[in-house]
Amino acid sequence: MKTIAQSAGLVLALAAVLPRPGVAQDPRLDRLTADARTLVAPIIDSAGAAGLPAEPLVNRALEGASKGAPAPLIATAVRRLAADLGRSRDVLGPAAGAAELAAAADALRAGASPEVLRRLRDALGSRRLAVPLGVTADLTSRGVPADTAATLVITLARSVEDAQLLALQREVERDIALGAPPLAAAAGRLGAEALAASADVVNTAGPGTPTTRAPRKP
Amino acid sequence: MLEREDELVTRVAAELKRPVHLDSALDARVMAEVRSQARRPRVWWLRPRTFSLTPLGMLARAAVLAAIVFGATLAGSRFRPAPDAAVAVAQPGVSFVLYAPGAHSVALVGDFNGWDIAATPLQATGSSGAWVVSVPLPPGRYRYAFLIDGARWLADPGAPRAPDDDFGTPNSVLTVGT
Repeated sequence: MKTIAQSAGLVLALAAVLPRPGVAQDPRLDRLTADARTLVAPIIDSAGAAGLPAEPLVNRALEGASKGAPAPLIATAVRRLAADLGRSRDVLGPAAGAAELAAAADALRAGASPEVLRRLRDALGSRRLAVPLGVTADLTSRGVPADTAATLVITLARSVEDAQLLALQREVERDIALGAPPLAAAAGRLGAEALAASADVVNTAGPGTPTTRAPRKP
Repeated sequence: MLEREDELVTRVAAELKRPVHLDSALDARVMAEVRSQARRPRVWWLRPRTFSLTPLGMLARAAVLAAIVFGATLAGSRFRPAPDAAVAVAQPGVSFVLYAPGAHSVALVGDFNGWDIAATPLQATGSSGAWVVSVPLPPGRYRYAFLIDGARWLADPGAPRAPDDDFGTPNSVLTVGT
């Protein structure tokens, strides 16, 4: 009987000190008010249990805290982001990393459909998608239709590196800032890049050589 | 053929039946070793003990072990950075510039500094009204904003706007490629 009592006491003592699955552990959340922490911690915890990255959610909560947002608003924002990350993961698959999921969530929030994300994923194969998805999200939030943004990114991402993709995004944004309609700015760049690509192919491909285009260096 | 096998068996059996003569000092050496082990002081946690356990006690101990293993696994996996998340490798600095004449202080606040308003102040460049700071950032996608005089949030006019505005003030987005 004494053994049972000792064992039960040991179990209770350990249960008190071991981390519990229902409580988010990130010490940065201490910056939130107690109310906000109580609302946010279970959301982050559930997302983690579902295999979603905690970092974007913690950052969103911290942003709310720094901006003095009330606890329910912080919780709503974190919950909404978790839902977007979940939708992104459904499209991109369980192997997608945190940066890819965050960029895809931005693209969804900017107005891209899951189908657009799926097109990007299928077209770009094993390439890391964080930058292509981010460029799609940013162009879409600048007013470029999501389909056009995705087509532009897919066309270029097959042959250029991340840095060139980001440079193209800046060029489209500059054109928009100079007054070009977003669709025209993207289509113009797409046309220019397509022309450049075909010129490269004509210049480099002899008879019998594969018609692929070497990545251009910045 | 059979005769040869019989002969072999007989020879093997005879060999096995031969008495074995041990070294006469063996007994003495074994006993000396046993005595030295007995004399060696043994701390209490090395002494053998006998425990008796009831089935319920065994279950309780198994539960404790499972809780320890589960807790350690959970603590190790939670908040583990994702494979492509920020990696603490020094990168060339990314320069942030804001033209804010008349401002007394400008801070850069975002995902890269945990939205800490005191972590990354910008420096004024003379009296031009330009504020600058350079931040080493590994590849990734970051949301950020400027905080002017500790009170006014401002998105970076030179960067794409974040698609969401959850807290009523706009943010910018920066993508750092590989």
